[in-house]
Amino acid sequence: MKDAFGITTIGFDVAVIGAGPAGISCANSLADMGLEVVVLDEQPNPGGQIYKNIEHVSSACLNILGDDYSAGQPLIKKFRHRNPTYYPGASVWQVNSDGHIFYSKDGISKEEAAKFIVVATGAMERPVPFPGWTLPGVMSAGGANNLIKNGGLVPNGRVALAGSGPLLLLEAVHLIDMGVDIKAILETTPAIPNISSLIHLPQALGRMDLLKKGISMLQKIKKAGIPHYKGIRKLSVKGNDRVESVHALKGDDSINVDADMLFVHFGVVPNTSIYRQIGCEHEWNDIQRYWYPQSDKWGRTSLSNVFAAGDGQFVHGAVPAALKGELTALAIAADMKMIDKDERDKQAKSIENQLQNELKPRSFIDALYAPILNLLDVPKETLICRCECITMGQILDVIDEGCVDPNEVKALLRPGMGPCQGKMCGSIISEIISMRTGKKIKEVGSLNIRPPLKNIPLSEIAEIKFLA
Amino acid sequence: MFSSYETTKQTVTIILDGKPQRVPAGVSVAAAVLGTGKTHTRTSLISGEPRAPFCMMGVCYECLLEIDSRKDQQSCQVQVKEGMIINRQIRTNGEEK
Ligand code: FES
Repeated sequence: MKDAFGITTIGFDVAVIGAGPAGISCANSLADMGLEVVVLDEQPNPGGQIYKNIEHVSSACLNILGDDYSAGQPLIKKFRHRNPTYYPGASVWQVNSDGHIFYSKDGISKEEAAKFIVVATGAMERPVPFPGWTLPGVMSAGGANNLIKNGGLVPNGRVALAGSGPLLLLEAVHLIDMGVDIKAILETTPAIPNISSLIHLPQALGRMDLLKKGISMLQKIKKAGIPHYKGIRKLSVKGNDRVESVHALKGDDSINVDADMLFVHFGVVPNTSIYRQIGCEHEWNDIQRYWYPQSDKWGRTSLSNVFAAGDGQFVHGAVPAALKGELTALAIAADMKMIDKDERDKQAKSIENQLQNELKPRSFIDALYAPILNLLDVPKETLICRCECITMGQILDVIDEGCVDPNEVKALLRPGMGPCQGKMCGSIISEIISMRTGKKIKEVGSLNIRPPLKNIPLSEIAEIKFLA
Repeated sequence: MFSSYETTKQTVTIILDGKPQRVPAGVSVAAAVLGTGKTHTRTSLISGEPRAPFCMMGVCYECLLEIDSRKDQQSCQVQVKEGMIINRQIRTNGEEK
């Protein structure tokens, strides 16, 4: 790489981590403005979770997944056309705030460097434990959706769905369209919307098109004649080596469903591991109950050369994610003096207007599907840490003995020490401590992230290829 | 538990637990294994219970498989390739079967 004076420098102008809508649109815009970009992504193909496999999916699956999915096509096409440096299949395992990135690809670890880092690692489904959630046959609804996109696989047994949020219902609709035998939908969302959501309704009505989509989903489920329960509690699954039945309570009535598979979804939370590892400051959202990196409207985090774009910055969905990626690109281009501040602000104006329009229904939907986590309802034998097999009872015991810091719980019991490094149980442990002690989550804190972010064999780290 | 929504045109052959299997080209290893009718991909190192892919997006690590002699690969993030040798990590009492 050569800089403006023709001197060879190490690394890129910008490294974008994540090739979902935010990362791709950010990389596209940066490349448009003449910056040298490298995109690192864990998956074999661009698109992230939402547009997974969009370049290769069959037309039959494309039909089922609909417009919201095919909306990713132009974005990816442009990305291929622009053709920035792109490392698919690259698992980033450490990012330093000075712009050095370490990643593993095909069993070899390498270093890359950039002046700016855009972390566009998206969101993940909120892990919520319940008895039997480790049984084969229980899968996240997003996981089941991925099997459609990247495998053309449909469940061939009896299916139940449980949890809350629009994505749960969307998955139900896809499965109905594919002729899957859905035995029941069990929603934790109350039958009567909470008052706080209604405050946001007038604003949401500004995007009647999006609300209509939601309503037609509900109508489709109703028409399919699927038993649809709201306000359920105490979800559990029974079975020997795999799911055999699903259970829950509605009021005092018990619901029992024979099923071979259960798809669960409890909303979506930012994937903050890289932000935490670099050392970005975080904020807590009390309605959505998640941590998100502190950032300004450009996505600039508490570290001036590190940006957060897309759902990882705050969960707004795919279309807003792409818009946020464009805003980030403008800020970086201005910092790099490719455009001046006036030009940046001028171009940002129309993106911000679009973003505002997209976000109109968001507060309503977020309040309507605000997570209801009755974690203290979870029986003592239930696994909280799936990797290390740590139960609710073990965790409650140490809390009651006065251990109220998640990192102390980890030191004592080892939750978060297995392969997933606390990605699944970390937030749950903080919530349990908060619920048990009455302390606010902000005071409880969260599990520290320790490098490497991915469990890379030591032998691979020993042979790492550093930048010359 | 899962089957193909449509007949796939292109396939590759993988060796799963020592047996050749034809699977759709371009899919993730985790999807390919589930598509062959297997219900679980590994057993818990701690309890020995069967586990299956949960998130399919690189978070939960329940999909760990041995792929081409490398253990503990996140199979939901790896694409199948012709001739790939895949072994499920089924262990009992700390020993591998
Ligand atoms: S299925 Fe969760 S990491 Fe692969």
